[in-house]
Amino acid sequence: MALLSAEDVVVRFGGLRALSEVSLDVEAGRVTGLIGPNGAGKTTCFNVITGLQEPTAGRVMFDGIDISNKKPSKRARMGIARTFQKLEAFSSLSARDNVLVAAEQRKAWDKSKFDPRTVADETLERVGIGDIAQFMVGTLPTGTARLVELARALATNPKVLLLDEPSSGLNEDETEGMAVLLRRLVGEGLAVLLVEHDMSFVMGTCEHIYVLDFGRIIAAGSPTQVQGDAAVQAAYLGSAAEVA
Amino acid sequence: MRLKGRSSTVAGALVVAAFVLYIVNVNRGATPYSWQSFATMVVVGLSLGGIYAIFAAGLVVTYSTTGIFNFAHGAIGCFLAFCYWEMRVNHGWPAPLALFVVLFLLAPAIGVGLDVLLMRRLRFAPLVVQLMVTVGLMLTFMGVTLTIWKPNTPRALQHFYESSKGVHVGDVVATWHRIITVLVALGIAVLLRTLLYKTRLGISMRAVVDNRNLAGLTGARPNVVSSASWALGCMTAGLAGILIAPETGLTVENMTLLIVTAFAAAAIAQLKSLPWAFAGGLIIGLCGAFAQVFLSFSQDFSYANEAIPAVILFIALLFLPQARIETGTIRLTKRTERLTTPWEALLGSLVMVGLVSAWANGWIPWFSGTHFGQRTDVWLGRGATFLVFGLIMMSLVPLIGWAGQVSFANYAIAGFGAAMYHHVGGQHGSPIGIFWVMVICAPLGALIAIPALRLKGLYLALATMAFAEFADKVLFRYPRILNPTASGTLYKPLRVLGFQMSSDPGDRKAFVIFLAIAIAVIFFGLQMLRRSRWARRWIAIADSPAAAATVGINLTVSKVAVFALSGALAGFAGTMLGLSKGALAVDEFPLFAGLPLVLLLAVWGSRYPVAAFMGALGLAIFPALQEMAGNPTWLTSIELLGPGLAVIGMAFQPEGAAFNAGRDLAGLLPWRRDAREEKALVVAKLRDDDVTRDEINDLGLTRAFTVDKIAKIDRALDIADEMLERPGIVVASEVTHGAPVG
Repeated sequence: MALLSAEDVVVRFGGLRALSEVSLDVEAGRVTGLIGPNGAGKTTCFNVITGLQEPTAGRVMFDGIDISNKKPSKRARMGIARTFQKLEAFSSLSARDNVLVAAEQRKAWDKSKFDPRTVADETLERVGIGDIAQFMVGTLPTGTARLVELARALATNPKVLLLDEPSSGLNEDETEGMAVLLRRLVGEGLAVLLVEHDMSFVMGTCEHIYVLDFGRIIAAGSPTQVQGDAAVQAAYLGSAAEVA
Repeated sequence: MRLKGRSSTVAGALVVAAFVLYIVNVNRGATPYSWQSFATMVVVGLSLGGIYAIFAAGLVVTYSTTGIFNFAHGAIGCFLAFCYWEMRVNHGWPAPLALFVVLFLLAPAIGVGLDVLLMRRLRFAPLVVQLMVTVGLMLTFMGVTLTIWKPNTPRALQHFYESSKGVHVGDVVATWHRIITVLVALGIAVLLRTLLYKTRLGISMRAVVDNRNLAGLTGARPNVVSSASWALGCMTAGLAGILIAPETGLTVENMTLLIVTAFAAAAIAQLKSLPWAFAGGLIIGLCGAFAQVFLSFSQDFSYANEAIPAVILFIALLFLPQARIETGTIRLTKRTERLTTPWEALLGSLVMVGLVSAWANGWIPWFSGTHFGQRTDVWLGRGATFLVFGLIMMSLVPLIGWAGQVSFANYAIAGFGAAMYHHVGGQHGSPIGIFWVMVICAPLGALIAIPALRLKGLYLALATMAFAEFADKVLFRYPRILNPTASGTLYKPLRVLGFQMSSDPGDRKAFVIFLAIAIAVIFFGLQMLRRSRWARRWIAIADSPAAAATVGINLTVSKVAVFALSGALAGFAGTMLGLSKGALAVDEFPLFAGLPLVLLLAVWGSRYPVAAFMGALGLAIFPALQEMAGNPTWLTSIELLGPGLAVIGMAFQPEGAAFNAGRDLAGLLPWRRDAREEKALVVAKLRDDDVTRDEINDLGLTRAFTVDKIAKIDRALDIADEMLERPGIVVASEVTHGAPVG
């Protein structure tokens, strides 16, 4: 049974169906991809999983528990962390304090002994931004601020990590570094759900991919299966040249 | 979950209904329920309600088309009504001419002027800044009106067609003025709706709210649209002002207070639905008329009638549907962060105490002369008052500055604290009483906030304002809270370590120094708190509630905690307020008295505890200026005008004066090399940052941009791919002109 799964999730905004019966599973120890053209509903899907968006129907299961009615903070405490496509860093705190807030928060549910300050410093080092710890996040370039968000998410010691376009704003080297980091994280048993437009990044890191189009899952499978899928090519990869 | 939501709404409705029935039952007057009395109620209620509706509609139109909630709406309406009086009554112009000049020349000119000079700069500003600037504008308009038209001369606007009788509805006479009012309200309703739905301008207006950038790309001109909606807002404000003046009397206070009514109607409309704004106006009008006709409040609650809009506002907030957790706004900040160290905080505290003590002892030669800041008994008394206000501002630092929760209630809470102090020890000068007051005021602070916590930040500002109004009209007038007789509620001097502190001339020096010590201690405490996880958590919530929730921060608990802290500090300030006045009267806490405090703190920079001290010193400037100028009559409203004008500067420096000044001053300290480097960085950045937000707004598509500049613009506008995704999908309407959801 999957660690995290969305079951027949529907989200309606007025007359618009942003998500129609979306079901997906996120397994521990691997990167699951969620791709699709702009506006397909990927971010909405993240919002439903993290509790920022109440689904019109359907439910979200985590670790065998129905978490559909739980508050976002409660879900975070259970082990769901995320980053945002549109930056949501704590812009008037320093990079270190961004991560420290999360690490200190972890004290509320993680009974193991740790010093939040050490966790914050280590996590910053881990994502490779130890050198900008004292900078205010509001003044950092987008790519770096994304890494701060990643560090912040990791500092909560999550079981599932939802990444919303982590590579946008990063250069090629940094993207490669991100891929290495993700592989190491899933090697440690973390489950990752990845929304991404950089196809080579997606195909290189994901073991299982869901393709979302107009709020529906139109294909799912391994990278090779998905790439070969006719519906996917029509809906998405056909325009991949412009996207990538 | 949805079921749970609905059943709690039903339960809430039952409680409110029971409460209302109880109030009605207890205060039932002599008028019998009859067709005649109901007809009277409907005639009065509809005409007042119609005016409220016009007021609220203007507010909703500006808010929904510009995203800025105009707290100055009522004050502008009041100013325009005075202008109308000047032309119509003072200069004897014919009514149609005066109406035309006021409503079609003056009002749009004010609206466009405000938009061009101020409001456009606020588009991307955090809510705190938007609120402060429009509240500052409100005080400015009040101050200007009071300066031009001195309140000691009675003025009146007549009803339209006062002489003729009107129409008989059964046995009740509906005067022409009232009929006109209702018709005008209806006309405005139809006009506004037609404008927004059938005209090109209106459609652009709605498009601009949905997505300003997108609307710009499709050919709408955001600047024209926002000017138009500010003009429209001012016109409706002026119209409502002119219509309501004969009912409330042409006084600044009465008329500006109508904003609470307009806010209540706007809250019923969820700030965006025009039909519901009208319905809200009518509901409030009818409730007011019902109370006027059928209820007779006892002596203890003689002002309860005036609190009805505030109560309705509070009730409306209870029933608004839960808002989605808000995402963040980028706050302008410095590049690196360096928190005040404990030693620096200690040094700062000592400097504060030292400065005040030196002044109080007459050791500062420059200030002991006959001019500014002379150390007379009067100035010592004033000094105590200013420091007490500084304490109240201090209570707002964690709340507004860190957690981003705007509260206008802290002055009222301090008042309540002062009142309570009399009951728990202040009547015989006990220091323990201070502690009890803090214990009482902490939950009070949280209680006021709770209805608004699940809603958007703006509602919190409205809720706290409603509380301040309710406290003024009901709480403080209740004889068991404050003594309503001429002597007022009395306080005995506070005795600590053999010193006596009170408003008594002989005790003033000790009191002033004691207050400075209190401020310094709280200053130090707040600086330490700023380094703690609590402050980090609060700032995180202010920066991005959504992200804060997803790292496990319980928003409700954290917000309640900061409100409780703020309430306790305000309570402490309240005990000092009582002492500094010696005797407290029931009418010392009008809503407007507390606003300048919030504004002055914001001017100095609400994130910095030192701003409270600077704000307190700043208060001395106004009476000092008055004295230096020989107390001329044109300066009488400076306590409103001064803070009002000062805070408008926030549109240009949103972080407050302490932000830059603090950095520059810190750079003078030998060990603060970081501050000097920071300054150098900012200066360098200003030089190459040639794309300003205004330019971006005005850019159109004619100018060539380098890739680098486009990246800069993207970042400034916070454009993520999502915003450019299928236009039809992103435009999930923020403005609905039908019924609100839920």
